Amino acid sequence: MAEMEVKEKSKKGPGVKKGKKLSTRVDLTPMVDLGFLLITFFIFTIRMSEPTAMNLSMPKDTPDKNLDTKVKESGSLTLMLGKENVIYYYFGSDPATMQTTTYKDVRDIILKKKKTTPAEDFFVIIKPDKDASYKNAVDLLDEMTINDVSRYAMVDPTADEYSKIQMTEKAAGIQ
Amino acid sequence: MARAKIKRGSTSVDMTPMCDVAFLLLTFFILVGKFKAEEAVEVTPPSSVSNKTIVQKDFFNVTFDKGGTVYLDMDEAIRRDVIEELGKERNVQFSPQEMDAFAKSPFVGVPINQLGQFLKLTPEQVKGTKLPGVPTDSTNNELQAWISAAKAVRLGSKLVYTIKGDNGAKYSTFRNVIESFKKNDEYKYNLVTSQTDVPEGSELYQKNLKEQTEGSK
Repeated sequence: MAEMEVKEKSKKGPGVKKGKKLSTRVDLTPMVDLGFLLITFFIFTIRMSEPTAMNLSMPKDTPDKNLDTKVKESGSLTLMLGKENVIYYYFGSDPATMQTTTYKDVRDIILKKKKTTPAEDFFVIIKPDKDASYKNAVDLLDEMTINDVSRYAMVDPTADEYSKIQMTEKAAGIQ
Repeated sequence: MARAKIKRGSTSVDMTPMCDVAFLLLTFFILVGKFKAEEAVEVTPPSSVSNKTIVQKDFFNVTFDKGGTVYLDMDEAIRRDVIEELGKERNVQFSPQEMDAFAKSPFVGVPINQLGQFLKLTPEQVKGTKLPGVPTDSTNNELQAWISAAKAVRLGSKLVYTIKGDNGAKYSTFRNVIESFKKNDEYKYNLVTSQTDVPEGSELYQKNLKEQTEGSK
């Protein structure tokens, strides 16, 4: 791909030696090759995003039931995390009214509840069960930040709730 | 009849702009990225909207992978003190060589009684073997002992507890880790996540927007 040299017509007479003019253009193809090679190298070795940290504060376990945080029944929303990215939720304190939802729709449920309850009563209880994944729990904690929920807690489901989740899962055929 | 003459174009292309682009991209990647640090265990953390960067000083990190194996690592500055303290608490004698090896080893992935063997392995050997991890179950919670040792060493100044879990890990593993911390009266943790954008239109998005416009006023 070398550049063609353009022959210049000599205006000088015979006998005068021609000074051969070299082209000033350089072939840049190898340099381009090198450039892209380095780019590829950097793309493979570089980490684009720094990991971030999410704050999590857990409550102290108290054996004294009187010290437990009191939650108003009218303002509570309980989200239980089951297998296969399914969320079971109920309002108030009756697990029998449990409904099913997914991670996509949970935001609407949280927001709807948030809008219909006074801010000081609103409380979200997150209960991941034994089979839920770590990602699910983090996703929901993140959802609390996204929806600006200031009062929430992460606790274990009661035995009653757990058996109910398992029954529902069995009925729905989730392994 | 006169034939239309087709002008022969040169086959060589001017490479200068392409060269410019290549090096421009190269500069961009060098400036934007950071080199990948060699990590003890490959873990893909879940994503969150948090934008707080992770602390690299005075940290005590617990990592757990998909299979529920728990590893831990800590700031180099406290490693030696921590293993001395752990030896005292557990009545295990560590030789000076073992302590030196521990100060250099990037992470712990075995129960305390196998620690001596583990420290003899070279980094290549560590990569090849399947490690049992630090036990976290309630009958033999060694993670709790490690945390307690680290806490005792760092009495007065604060340690940052980070927890790094894999996307596919079970919640029960996470719960065990949290329980170990709780038993040591530590309730504040940093979960390591990868950053994602705040969903548009959500409350946090609007809140951030408001703060921005107020800030610019």
